[in-house]
Amino acid sequence: MKKKSVWILVAITAMVFGLTFNAMAEEGVTDTEIHIGQWGPQTGPAAPWGAVARGTDAYFKMINAEGGIHGRKLIHHYFDDAYNPAKTKAGVKQLQEEIGMFAWVSGVGTAPGMAVEDYLMERKIPWISPSTGSAHWVDPPKKQLFALYPLYSGDAQVLVRYAAQDMGLKRIAITYQNDDYGKLGLVGAQKQMTKEGMKLVAEIPVNVADTDMKPHIMALRKAEADAVLMFVTPGHVARLIGTGKAMKFEPQWMTTTTCGDVPLMMYITKGLYAGTILASFGMLDPAAVGIGNVEDVNNPTLPLMKKYFNDAYKKYAAKDERWGMTFAAGIAYAEPLVEGLRRAGRNLTREGFIKQMEGIRNFQGIMGRVNYKPFDPKDPLCRLGQNEVFISQATADGKYKVLTDWIKTDYVNYE
Amino acid sequence: MIDFLQTILSGIAVGSSYALMGLGMVLIYKASEVPNFVQGEMALLPVFVAYVLLESYGLPPYIAFPATLVFSIFLGCFLEFAIIRRAKEPNVLGLIIITIGMEMMLLGLVSWKFGADQRAMPFPISSYDSIMIGDIFISTLDLLTLVVALIIMLVLFLFFRYSKIGVAMKATQQNENAARLMGIKTNRIRMVTWGISSFVGCVAGLLIAPILVEPYMMWDPMLKGFAGAVVGGMTSLPGAVFGAYIVGIVEHLFGGYVSIEFKSVVAFVVIVLVLCIRPSGLFARHYVKKV
Repeated sequence: MKKKSVWILVAITAMVFGLTFNAMAEEGVTDTEIHIGQWGPQTGPAAPWGAVARGTDAYFKMINAEGGIHGRKLIHHYFDDAYNPAKTKAGVKQLQEEIGMFAWVSGVGTAPGMAVEDYLMERKIPWISPSTGSAHWVDPPKKQLFALYPLYSGDAQVLVRYAAQDMGLKRIAITYQNDDYGKLGLVGAQKQMTKEGMKLVAEIPVNVADTDMKPHIMALRKAEADAVLMFVTPGHVARLIGTGKAMKFEPQWMTTTTCGDVPLMMYITKGLYAGTILASFGMLDPAAVGIGNVEDVNNPTLPLMKKYFNDAYKKYAAKDERWGMTFAAGIAYAEPLVEGLRRAGRNLTREGFIKQMEGIRNFQGIMGRVNYKPFDPKDPLCRLGQNEVFISQATADGKYKVLTDWIKTDYVNYE
Repeated sequence: MIDFLQTILSGIAVGSSYALMGLGMVLIYKASEVPNFVQGEMALLPVFVAYVLLESYGLPPYIAFPATLVFSIFLGCFLEFAIIRRAKEPNVLGLIIITIGMEMMLLGLVSWKFGADQRAMPFPISSYDSIMIGDIFISTLDLLTLVVALIIMLVLFLFFRYSKIGVAMKATQQNENAARLMGIKTNRIRMVTWGISSFVGCVAGLLIAPILVEPYMMWDPMLKGFAGAVVGGMTSLPGAVFGAYIVGIVEHLFGGYVSIEFKSVVAFVVIVLVLCIRPSGLFARHYVKKV
């Protein structure tokens, strides 16, 4: 009887201590694991961006193979939301409530992200690097949301400035996707044109479902544009440049990071993309490559890119996965998260992690320099990690010719 | 004036691919009395087959394209034989759901097998070259599409008018019971109709593919072809063609002179207007069932 009582006492003590321990442990963190969630379209019209999540997955596997972070493995849970906000919300809730994520990383698409933003922020769950350059993530800033992607309005600023100041072009036009992405590019272009003492000669909206670009090209031709900014999807860039060529309209085409996968763009435009000028946020360091020099994405000069190519992509990507900007971007978006986890140490809590993220200064992975600041509800820049981009040009053999060093952009959002 | 003519010509050029899709839909509507929402994917799968034959097997276009067209005929016949015919006493709604289901299956098959990446299709003529008629441009691909569409329309007209199978098809469409009593194997006729419809759609797909190959490439042409068919009348082949050209031209005029932003939706505004004024479409006879 006495022996039985001792065992009951031991069991109760263990339960009490166990409960106390569990109550103290952070959600999504165990002794050996850190659970990180991510969504991304693997099917549907936006599926070409599915490589982002697969890039992150290969990166986490590489980190785990190197011993993890402070003895813990990164457990990556990613699901296909088909770029459908309803599916994003359902998937995030399911993973968060059934398994429990410590934090979320990346997440392709403004609309899918907006569908879960309130859910994550209300529960104070960290979300690092939404994979779009929307100002929505930082205006107003949220304590647990750390954006990385430079705003599309910044891309537009540097492209307009380059066209006007370096190329001496006067008649600049824009085609923009009729949504948050394109409109932010439009605002950036308008502001910079005002600074240059000019006005855009044409502002042509493109709907995502549009496949016929003839009316768009006719409007651009009528405006006699000699440079055209394209804030659209890669498929629309191919259609615009192709239709332009067929209609004998060949201005200086300029585009943004979203359409900056030069080998892919060269392939789908059958070479017409050559000469296109693009704003880039990373994957090569213009200072390391040198202005006027050419970078081959399959033979990167940046040591870190080389490491990811050999240790993440070659070892952990699926056999038919293509190494390119989209895949590498999946790695880049997760770098600040990993840096924050490393800084937070073994005693990992969300509060401690946020504090360490706020302390990141001039951190450079394969994108530009990343800076965060302590939370200030009136300062969007406290949660916008990168605000510099550089300009390059697509060469005929599918490489990047670096045209400028990093250029700091101004914060521009809708009025 | 030049801009206006250029807009009209561009509308006609894009209307040609809508017309082919519309023709395919009307053929099936007449045979099976169902708006065929798998029409786009019946073209999509053969396009990817052509891509594989050209890129992976290195076949020349003069072998790859005919082989693809033959495949498309078999695909259409197979879908009718294996799925549509198996539906037990189907009503129109049931058949529509079946075609939507087939659409999802074929789209899923293409996305799973070939991935979501955009691709460039090798094609004998460049989709970026153009010729000038006075001051007006037309791309060689658009011109080819226009010519091919006209040839197919002519061949279909001759086929239905003069060939034995064509007449049997018309008979089956008009009165299936009477056709069966006359010794026509109506099931087989319906299957052949699906095959021909798939062939026509495949031609449209192969002419759209040189610009960009991707899993969702046939969605917009299918919807616009459907819009054209509804405008012209779902039971009239010339109506579907005429309706598709109307959709193409109106869309371009609206985009050029009113608003590019709402260019894509104007086709559906045209549908609403036509259905309000002539519910059977511009060219189809309005049947009233007498009791």
